[in-house]
Formats: sequence, structure tokens, C-alpha cells
Amino acid sequence: MDRRAAFFLGAAVVCFLLVPVSDGYAWVSITVGAVYVVLALGSWLDARGHRRV
Amino acid sequence: METFLVIIVIAIALGFDYVNGFHDAANSIATVVSTRVLTPRTAVVWAAFFNFAAFLVFGDKVATTIANDVVVQSVLSIGVIFAGLVGAILWDLITFWFGLPTSSSHALVGGIAGAAVAKAGFDVLISEGLRKIGIFIVLSPLIGLAMGLILTLGIFWVFHRNRNLQRLNRGFRTGQLASAAAFSLGHGANDAQKTMGIILALLIASGHAASNASTPLWVVLSAHTAIALGTLTGGWRIVKTMGSKITRLQPVGGVAAESGAAITLFATSAAGIPVSTTHTITGAIVGVGAARRLSAVRWGVAGRVVWAWILTIPGAFAISWLTFLVVDLLA
Repeated sequence: MDRRAAFFLGAAVVCFLLVPVSDGYAWVSITVGAVYVVLALGSWLDARGHRRV
Repeated sequence: METFLVIIVIAIALGFDYVNGFHDAANSIATVVSTRVLTPRTAVVWAAFFNFAAFLVFGDKVATTIANDVVVQSVLSIGVIFAGLVGAILWDLITFWFGLPTSSSHALVGGIAGAAVAKAGFDVLISEGLRKIGIFIVLSPLIGLAMGLILTLGIFWVFHRNRNLQRLNRGFRTGQLASAAAFSLGHGANDAQKTMGIILALLIASGHAASNASTPLWVVLSAHTAIALGTLTGGWRIVKTMGSKITRLQPVGGVAAESGAAITLFATSAAGIPVSTTHTITGAIVGVGAARRLSAVRWGVAGRVVWAWILTIPGAFAISWLTFLVVDLLA
């Protein structure tokens, strides 16, 4: 797996783990986590595209 | 006598603020200097001006969080605040000696919490406020990283027709003036407010201000002046390392990193959340490097930030706890 995508996925997991303790700021943890999921997906697609080329 | 002690502790708090400016100025001007947009001396004047001007833009929500949301107000005394400051300063000096990247902000929170617990036990800690600070210790570098990366990708997407990277970088040299100014504004806002919060707590504890008082103007001005003077006098000495320590930055990357970190600091300052400006810009610089490839990032530095997360609050807590016991014994 693309190392960068794995790193972003790890960051997303950290953000989602913070949600239960985030109280009024849970939306921040969820939003940042979702951004990292998108970045992981984009990075994986980018790496896959480069491998094909 | 009590007024004299209050003045002494205010002077220590302003000294802490001065050292913060001295040490952190490199974060906001390193890329402007390393790309030779400004000379080191002009760059520190630029950063110091925006550090000071921050008081015109941001309120005092971070100050209120530090004064009211870390420990219950009734436990705060001159001794507690003195021990908290001593703990934060000693922790900063110890980690500076061992070359560990630390956060003055986290040290301050840990220090005040440690001194308050030494006085009255763990019940005085406000879990909601500490949880908010703790969550953003982790989130602020991650937000900075995402912002740095997204802005880098956005810039390259907008200017993708411009295949001449050198010409693109030349265009972004002047953009760095604005992004460095924005970051310095965010740095001044978030970090000077932490000192404002400590002084406000001290004034309330010593009966010089009401418990619901807002920050007096002289406190606002003196805190912003102290951080600006620190930037002005010390920043250029350590500016050389930051621009290439984490990843080699070009003007485009500098604009993305500083803008990403500035947006994060603006948002957290407006929400009254104290965060580490160093960790935020570190995250943003890592994000710029990660936009190229992960191997462009020196992960050792990022790993040391994680260690700083884990160690700073307990370390400053322990030193302040001990300091308060000594102060209490001597008083």
C-alpha cells in the first residue's frame, strides 16, 4: 500500500478516536478525520496512477 | 508586600512571553529569510510588528480560557501562579538544553495545573477545559498539516499551466510577505493571550480585578509588546535552521505552510483555544513536504513533536508541583 495513504489513514483514525472525548468540538475531529480519509483516497489513487504509467 | 509580589510575578509572566517571541520568531520568518525576500533584520521587524498588531484583530478568548478553564478560580493565588510559571520556564529550559522541541503553551497549562494540584488536590482541575486543550494539542498539528498540503495542491492546481517552477516561485516571493505577516498575527494572538490569561488570573487571585473581569488594556498591550520585543531581539539568531529543518521549502511551499498555519491559528484563537504555534507550523511544513512525497519529510522532527505532546504537560506539572511545595514551605 502507498505509504502516504497509510499515513493519512492513520491520521484519520487518530481524529476519529478523539470524537468520544471531544464534547462540543466533536465536529472538528470528525471533519478533520473525514479530510484525511479523502486525502488517503486521493493519495492511493495518485500512487496507483503513477504505477500504471 | 502583596502588591510587590504581584508586580514580580507579572514581570516573570512578561519575561516568559518575551522568551516565547525570542524563540518562536524563527517559525514565521524563516522561509522569507531563506528565500532572500527580506534580510533577517527586516524580517524580524516585519514579524514583530504583526505580533504586536494582533491585539487589534483578536479578542481575549484564549486569555479567558487560560484564566478560567484550567483550574477553579478559588485555588489561584500568587504562589500557585508563581510556581506554575517557574515550572513552565524550567521545563522550557530543560528541554532546550536537551534539544527537545517543546511547547511553551502546553508547559504553561501543565505548570498551572501542577501548582494548583499541589495546593488543593486533583479536584481543582477543570476536566472540560483541560480536555479541550488536550484534544487540540493533537488536532492543531494535524489541521496545520492538512491545510499545508491542501493549499500546496491548490496552488499547483491553479497554476498548473505555468510549467516553469522557477518563475512560479519568483511570483510567490512577494506572497510570502503576506503569509509571514498572517502567521505572525496568529502567533501574536494565540501566544500573547496565554500571558494575558496568566496575568488576568493573577489580578483576580490577588483581588486587583473582579472574577468576571475582562482583560485590562494595559495587560493586552504589555503582553503583545513583550512578545514583539522578543521577536525583534532574538528571532534572527535561530532563523537559519527552521526553513530547511523539516523539508526544503521553496517560496510556493513557504506561502502554503505559513497560510495553512495562520488559518489554523486564526480559527483556534477566535474559538478561545490555546494551541502550540510551533507544532501548528511544523504540521503545515510537513504537509507541504507530503504534497511531494513522504520521503521529502524529515520524520525525526515530526516524531519529536509527538514526544513533546506526551512529555510536556506531565513534565511541567511535576516541576510546578514541587515548586509550589517549596514555596508553601518557605511562606
